[in-house]
Amino acid sequence: MNDSQLVLTLVAAIGLGTPLIFATVGEIITERSGILNLGVQGMMLIGAVSGFWATFTTGSLLLGVIVAVIAGAALSWLHAFTSVTLRVNQIVSGLALAIFGTGLASFLGRAGSNPLVGNPSRKVFEPLITGGIAEWPVVGPLIFGHDILVYLSIIVAGVASYYLFHTRMGLSLRAVGEDPASAESAGVNVSRVRYIHVMVGGALAGAGGAYFSLALTPTWQDDPIGAAGWIAIALVILASWRPWRAVFAAYLFGAAERVQFTLQTLGDPWSNIPSTLLAMLPFILAIIAMIVLTSGKRARLLGAPAALAIPYFREQR
Amino acid sequence: MSTRRLIVEPRGLASTRLKLLVPVASVIAALIVAGIFLLLTGESPVEVYAKMLDASFGSQRGIAETMISATPLILTGVAAAIAFKMQVWNIGGEGQFLMGAIFSAGIAIWLGDGFPATVMIPAVVIAGGLGGAFWAAVSAIPRVYLGTNEIITTLMLNFIAINFVNFLIFGSSSPWRDSAVATFPTGRPIPDAARLPEFFFRLDVGIFIAIVLAIIAWYLMGKTRWGFAVRVAGDSTDTARYAGISVPRKILGVFLLSGAFAGFAGGLFVSGPVGALDPRSLILNLGFTGIIVAALARLNLIAIIPVAVLMGALNNSGPALQSIGVPTATVSMLQGAILLFAVAGEFLIENRIRRPESVTVAANPEPETA
Repeated sequence: MNDSQLVLTLVAAIGLGTPLIFATVGEIITERSGILNLGVQGMMLIGAVSGFWATFTTGSLLLGVIVAVIAGAALSWLHAFTSVTLRVNQIVSGLALAIFGTGLASFLGRAGSNPLVGNPSRKVFEPLITGGIAEWPVVGPLIFGHDILVYLSIIVAGVASYYLFHTRMGLSLRAVGEDPASAESAGVNVSRVRYIHVMVGGALAGAGGAYFSLALTPTWQDDPIGAAGWIAIALVILASWRPWRAVFAAYLFGAAERVQFTLQTLGDPWSNIPSTLLAMLPFILAIIAMIVLTSGKRARLLGAPAALAIPYFREQR
Repeated sequence: MSTRRLIVEPRGLASTRLKLLVPVASVIAALIVAGIFLLLTGESPVEVYAKMLDASFGSQRGIAETMISATPLILTGVAAAIAFKMQVWNIGGEGQFLMGAIFSAGIAIWLGDGFPATVMIPAVVIAGGLGGAFWAAVSAIPRVYLGTNEIITTLMLNFIAINFVNFLIFGSSSPWRDSAVATFPTGRPIPDAARLPEFFFRLDVGIFIAIVLAIIAWYLMGKTRWGFAVRVAGDSTDTARYAGISVPRKILGVFLLSGAFAGFAGGLFVSGPVGALDPRSLILNLGFTGIIVAALARLNLIAIIPVAVLMGALNNSGPALQSIGVPTATVSMLQGAILLFAVAGEFLIENRIRRPESVTVAANPEPETA
């Protein structure tokens, strides 16, 4: 029963969705502060390469994830600096981060006399539980058969949700994203709040990248994450800026990604559907979601931060 | 802010010298940053940069290849610049470029042999523009009539277009695919009459078409009533409305024009150096690189031409790096860093930084003038 295509697909969807949860929750936190960071792809790739490198040199998965988180946060600091301190165009700055991060990750993976490229990871994230309850029909592989980061990603989403909607700091964060001038007069340091949450977003994107290089495709290659960073940006909208919804949106997209492999195994006529067409699915879904969910005033009702991507000039209150 | 040592205030008009200095400094700063990474990985930056310079400008053939690489970047650069000027965030140049390539290869294959170059070449160029405009319309129409944010839709359409090109060649037996080659799927060569004539090594007349199109865009945006109305609407939608300018129609027009330019780039690339709808020769991030070109040229449609040559030179030097054991990704790392410094440099153009000694009246700086 656990070998049925349905169970295998759902299990794979959870795995493929996990890095998307990290990155999407991170981007939600960033956007809630009113900063749009389109550089998710770059931050994820930097996380992927640095995490892989750290585990490759030390043999420690924990260090790999820590280094990936720091690297993602460090890259996102650049975006915080340009958009909060310099107040230049966030869209172009985010794209710059994506291009720079992609180039740098590929460069670091190939540079030097003994490059990482082509090497398998020394350690890989394995399922926490093998045998016993993980063998139970359906719920075993679906709920108990994952590695620790799968559970951690759900915890991250839960913590982020609690933080955003049930803490004072979360309230300040949302206030900064809605109306920075009012937040400032209420005594909130807008710049600091934005810096912190852009970097939290970068850290989580870094973790998502490491999940690719240390769990999903643990052999270093130039582009181990596909378009995950770009999909995460779309998922923020699909999740309407709410971390819990990001979990479900990420699994849905994980399933959409996995469906191409599943159809191959089902035989005629399903296996005749070209994988290139199925690969479009997540992006088509994102556009439809975008048009249906966020057109006109609906974006505001949904939870889009009012000050998103608008530079804040303190003296122009 | 008063406790800080330096004071930042909006600058009215930046001097031409500063506007030139900032992009040049961005490139130098990016070379230094990439140089640090090269040093850290045991390469000599001087040697690497000398190799890149030599590959792109060191020989006549190198110069020709650089110009071939620059041709689509002029047009994708113009595409990004005219949209960004109007605050239309079309980051779908990549997809519009590919849709242009699909359309122009399509019309060339459909017309087939038997038409002279005087028919074929205008047909492929125009078809490219139409393809790009069509793909832009998918984002532009929801933006104008429903208020859908175009950043995400244009971004997503890039990936749909990439997969669609792959589908036409690898995933189906479409007319774009070469049925004569059974072993590995490739694009069907377009008729010779649809190919742009070469005049200097592999360099074709596409470079002149691109420059002429850029100048037309500059004239349209800078010297016509329509361009003036667009600029007013781009600066302030309220002012435009008071002046009786239909802002939605201007947005639609600029968006489609932007898509058309990215599509022209795809058309010229197919009828120039590539000669078929070949995914490996077309999916080179030329649309994304156009955004770097536009930003470094500070959205100036004429400055885009030399900046595109610079970016073309960088793109062109990638394979040469591989031959000396340096990752090709050095190029994209450099380009990303250039864009990062160029966008950060806007701060210096728009603001003045000075010491607080001279504070007298400027405690409350005047609002920025447009």
